[in-house]
Amino acid sequence: MTLATLTKPWAAFSYGFLDASAKREMRRKMLKAIAVPGCQMPYASREVPMARGWGTGGLQVTLTLLKPSSSVKVIDQGADDSVNAASIRSFLSKVSGAAETWDTQAATLIQSRHRIPEERLRADQVLVLQVPNPEPLRPVEPNMSVARQMHADADYGRLWLILYEQMVRSGRIMEGAAYPALVNRRHVMTPSPIPRWDVPKLHMAEHLTFLSAGREKRLYAVPPFTQVEPLVFSDVPYQVEDHGALRCHRSGVTGYYMNEIPQDNGGSVFELSDSNLGIKAIRRAEGAQVEIGPTWYENGKMPQ
Amino acid sequence: MSALASGPVPDAFEARTNATFEALMWALSRPGTVQDLPSPDVAGIAEALLDRECRVFCDNPLLAGEIASFGAALVPMALADYCFISLEDARGLAQLVHVPVGSDLYPDAGATLIAAARFGTGAKLRLTGPGIETSAEFSVDGLAAELWSLRAAHCRYPAGFDLFLICGAQVIGLPRSTQIEVL
Repeated sequence: MTLATLTKPWAAFSYGFLDASAKREMRRKMLKAIAVPGCQMPYASREVPMARGWGTGGLQVTLTLLKPSSSVKVIDQGADDSVNAASIRSFLSKVSGAAETWDTQAATLIQSRHRIPEERLRADQVLVLQVPNPEPLRPVEPNMSVARQMHADADYGRLWLILYEQMVRSGRIMEGAAYPALVNRRHVMTPSPIPRWDVPKLHMAEHLTFLSAGREKRLYAVPPFTQVEPLVFSDVPYQVEDHGALRCHRSGVTGYYMNEIPQDNGGSVFELSDSNLGIKAIRRAEGAQVEIGPTWYENGKMPQ
Repeated sequence: MSALASGPVPDAFEARTNATFEALMWALSRPGTVQDLPSPDVAGIAEALLDRECRVFCDNPLLAGEIASFGAALVPMALADYCFISLEDARGLAQLVHVPVGSDLYPDAGATLIAAARFGTGAKLRLTGPGIETSAEFSVDGLAAELWSLRAAHCRYPAGFDLFLICGAQVIGLPRSTQIEVL
């Protein structure tokens, strides 16, 4: 091995922004993450031109996967047009030449913050979720070395204790987002702060999901057809948000996860959180030929 | 013209390593399915994954030289993160006993094995586990028969090793999470 064999000709920037050694490290960790579903794998988490906490973990996974034929969709709380989503999407296409899209059906790579699209993802699609806090045990065990030992022992009793306390105090489980879920019957993961509505979409899904926390330098994965079971008591079934009957005031669609928009008169109206689904529904109502793919929820219910 | 002005285009190295990784990723995500590598050269896998941060065991001196050229350290099996190994006969299996499997505390310390095999003939395996909807079956030859019992004895999930089987430019992935039944 000489210095010459380890170097290469000068280039203005690396394809896909990350340099080759950063990508190799990501690849190694992503393969390990797939091999042990739901288990957090540490990684280096390089610098990217974005502050930690704004999706750098997801960004690094996406940059590693990008190729010119990719079609990339970026979601921020369900919306494609937020500043964060638009900036990440344009950065991704600028450094890779990949196509940008808002359409869940057309995307090969979907990087998302806090939502999983309502349309079912296919076997050839990869979902990359940005994770602020990858450690489900943090609320019950601040020491991460002890938390690691608890993961090793599958010692998750204290997570049930939190849920039990919520039941006692409030009469129902109050965990809103990032509901802890048991993956492959072994590791509890936090599915990133997606609403309870979205967690069942990961169970035995056809697509591959990566969850990556840039600030915390951990990534984990949910391979296709992997069991993802939210922690529940045998006599208290898992409940998603009660949005099945709500109607979007802009598109008229019912049966999906909604954003609540407060009104001046003290009331509120609702609109589809998955903004692209709303756009499609409106276009279709206007008479355009728009294809809406099969959705996970049908008539506001997740088929068993 | 600067690279930015002409638009980003992956060079041959980037395109090759990206495609190799994608094949490995889908192979591991869907155990038992055959994925296509861009080249039948096993060194291509090392090129996509390995560098100076890795410790590698390789029982083929020719390939070992190539892997070393990527910067990886050549080490005995017991210390390796990546093992390029022949599992055709008892000699390979004798080595396999030393493979690092990590621990419940550090599952990521389990090694990744890359071994040659022949697909479509030989022992029939039934796979279940993550990545497989119900069960998957495939036939593989060119591997010692005791490999699967050795793997079952060695891999106490989440500890274990991940196995890539290579047949020409095709790859099948068997992560530690997969249960294998020899039919």
